[in-house]
Amino acid sequence: MPSNILVVDDSPSVRNMIANTLKAAGYAVDTAVDGEDALEVSRRRPVHAVITDQNMPRLDGLGFCRAFRARPENRGVPVVFLSTESEASVKEKARQAGAIGWMIKPFDQQKLLDVIGRVVRA
Amino acid sequence: MTDPDAMTMFRAEAEALVDSLQDRLLALKAAPGDRALIDSVFRDLHTLKGTGAMFGRADIAGFLHDFESAFEAVRDGSATVDTELVTISLAARDHVAALLDGADGDGQAILDRLATRLGAPATGGARTSSRRIRFFMPPDTLALGGRPDFVLDELRRLGARNIRALTGEVPPLPELDPLQLHLGWEADIDTAVTEEQIRAAFLFHEDGLRLEIGTPGSAPIAPEPAEAEPVAAAAAPPTGSSSGALMRVPAERLDDIMDRVGELVIAEARLVELAARLAEPGLIAVAEDIQRLTTAMRDTTMSIRMTPIRAITGRFRRLAHDLTEATGKPISFVAEGEETELDKTVVERLTEPLMHIIRNAADHGLEATETRRAMGKPEVGHIRLSARHAGAEVLISLSDDGRGLDRDAIRARARERGLPGTADLPDDAIPTLIFEPGFSTATEVTELSGRGVGMDVVRRTIDSLRGSIEVDSEPGHGTTVTLRLPLTLAIIDGLLIEVAGERFVIPLAAVEEIVELPAAIAECETGNAFLDIRDSLVPFLRLRHLLQSPGTPGPHQKVVVVTSSDGHVGLVVDRIIGSNQTVIKQLSPLHAALKAFSGATILGDGSVALILDVPQLVARGRADADTGQEAA
Amino acid sequence: MTRNARLDAIAGSDVVTFRLGDEVLAVPAAELREVLEPVAITRVPGADDFVSGLLNVRGAVVPLADLRVPLRMPRPAHRADPRILVLELPLAGQVAVVGIVADSVHEVTRLDRGSLQAIPPVGTRWPPRHVAAVGRWAGEFVTIPDLPAIFAEFLSGQNGRPAPAGTSGAAHPTEPEPFGCD
Repeated sequence: MPSNILVVDDSPSVRNMIANTLKAAGYAVDTAVDGEDALEVSRRRPVHAVITDQNMPRLDGLGFCRAFRARPENRGVPVVFLSTESEASVKEKARQAGAIGWMIKPFDQQKLLDVIGRVVRA
Repeated sequence: MTDPDAMTMFRAEAEALVDSLQDRLLALKAAPGDRALIDSVFRDLHTLKGTGAMFGRADIAGFLHDFESAFEAVRDGSATVDTELVTISLAARDHVAALLDGADGDGQAILDRLATRLGAPATGGARTSSRRIRFFMPPDTLALGGRPDFVLDELRRLGARNIRALTGEVPPLPELDPLQLHLGWEADIDTAVTEEQIRAAFLFHEDGLRLEIGTPGSAPIAPEPAEAEPVAAAAAPPTGSSSGALMRVPAERLDDIMDRVGELVIAEARLVELAARLAEPGLIAVAEDIQRLTTAMRDTTMSIRMTPIRAITGRFRRLAHDLTEATGKPISFVAEGEETELDKTVVERLTEPLMHIIRNAADHGLEATETRRAMGKPEVGHIRLSARHAGAEVLISLSDDGRGLDRDAIRARARERGLPGTADLPDDAIPTLIFEPGFSTATEVTELSGRGVGMDVVRRTIDSLRGSIEVDSEPGHGTTVTLRLPLTLAIIDGLLIEVAGERFVIPLAAVEEIVELPAAIAECETGNAFLDIRDSLVPFLRLRHLLQSPGTPGPHQKVVVVTSSDGHVGLVVDRIIGSNQTVIKQLSPLHAALKAFSGATILGDGSVALILDVPQLVARGRADADTGQEAA
Repeated sequence: MTRNARLDAIAGSDVVTFRLGDEVLAVPAAELREVLEPVAITRVPGADDFVSGLLNVRGAVVPLADLRVPLRMPRPAHRADPRILVLELPLAGQVAVVGIVADSVHEVTRLDRGSLQAIPPVGTRWPPRHVAAVGRWAGEFVTIPDLPAIFAEFLSGQNGRPAPAGTSGAAHPTEPEPFGCD
């Protein structure tokens, strides 16, 4: 069974692009529009990795990451943040919240696959 | 770009490398001692291994690693190249090609043959100078979902050997937290692998990482004395970091820069307009400075994107070589004007159509050797590519000296296929029909031409680049296919004109001159379709008609005389507004069917103006002029 | 996606309602990027009535679509100050930005699943394949057009047109309506 990746972003186009790229590379993909939604989605089906944006309505990436990490079944599930370069301080917070790393936006599809390939294989 | 495109690009790149590898191996057969060739074989192997690994093809990367290792004996001079080695290497190359096509198999038999021939171990036997690395990842790595095994895989792809876990920091069992990582690892890595490459393997684990990279010779397996010299590293620089003067950047970044420059040009237009309106001398001076800088910035950025045709002609040489083998017809391929530059996107997208035209020429155009001899033609068939600039366009022609196209057969075929409007086409227009969709059929796709690309795909690609195709053919003497392409897809100098209160842009490069529309002609809406400009007759088009503009023109209409490589046409407009830098924005797919416009742009006041497609209008003008003459 | 699944999806998420002529329409809020005040529209000579204009949305040239054409609504001139909904839609395999004209924009709301239904295949003036669902909102019928289907059909209609032989093709008068009756 392919690894399941949860993609969390409030921009439909970004979400779509990431999801399509991952699917084409053989991953299974769940999507969520914000942190709240992501917590809900990840309860329904186990995820093997998460890619999340930081700035989102209702619950942002950091908030999501903390809540996600608090659930025991999510131990050892890598969370990768999407961030823009200006948000350097977020990186540190993301790490503390339990993220394994971050990816600078914008990125191309190869970069995305390259990065995801470092944390989970299809 | 969608992801299947990325895979397609990987495939295309890998296939090109596999082809190049074949070329070089064959060349090596003729010149067994050529160091440069041997090095280039290594470069191909290395690049192919790298891209394979990037795209998750561990099978390809693994096999190539072993292939490369075995071949090391050739580089260090302990084995010599002969026909047998070339044959085995070609078999190995074929195995890689098969893996690319989705075949299974570890190719061990080939590696064994290679090992036997070279007297070197087929795996793990690379004998370059290496150094020891040692690392400990942060203890929370596992809790965060980090995968040390993936990191080790990355290192293996870089050629790491003798990987060994270090257990010195593992605490006594009662104190052991299984979610904390206490292990470290050490491994030997070739000196050819840079520290940067090694560090890149630790993506996401840089914080708190303890990484030691030893100096050459620190490896426990003593390298051969001769190879311990620094020469080994110098003689084989890793691919991709060869030249200090050149820099490789991802194409997307160039696209980003181009987008930004485009926006800058638009902002600059607004600034200039504002400055003119406020008439404040200080502001006008600044606006002029910015205008100058923006123009320079635009030119530099565009020049970065310009790529010579040479970038792709190598593949055509290779193709001609293959076609010689496959068809049994000796073919000579010559390229002229290879320094001609085009926007990189155009060059990339031209490769496949041009290859198809060449295949078609070899396959259907050139006669068999006996036929040529009987006709008194040289036995070697010639295919010539020539590229040159013509105004705002680039012309790329592919000529062969084959049998030419059979107009009657094409006409018959077109009728049989039910292509519309073929009955009354003039003779000149007949050859172009071979590019119509549905002209060729699957049943006659030969092994050579049949890569799933019909000539209609050539047409579609050229159309999408806003280019056009012309075919010229003389029975018994050959066929010339000419592709006309716009120089750039990004920014042009434009002439802003107005028709019925609406503004449009005409590419300035196409503008020859601007004249008044003579009152006599202006009043007579239907008559004389020609202007007399210095004793030459120039057909003209009223844009008001073409663009279905409302209202009636004022008294002082102007004629913008435009040119493309084969004619002048006057375009009648209401008013000339002036020249401006025009950032070309592609029209959305919803408007792609409209041929009259090559794109749109944003003007200084923020409104959108359409850009007229001059070659299309000239063609239209010629067609109208022809019918006008017939009617007269 | 089955009709029911699609209805569920619509019912479960926010939509933006707007008025177009005499009708109230709605599009998923997730597809809406912004609503623009009246802006300069550039006419595209020769284009289909469905997409007869272009506008500047933050430096991008965006096509403007009139849903009254595929929905076969009467097309008097718009009110003096039409609004433009800027949407992100899948178009020819890519996410594209398009504008659609509205006479006025109402609000973001959630439609009650109970009020939603697929339109009956006969007896309505909407072309059924262009409408994802109809529902009720503030006492009025609200129509949810199937935008991906509408644009996909328009595109396939364009590509399906026989290419004119030869090279002439500048500013052809509009070809037959791609949204003909079934």
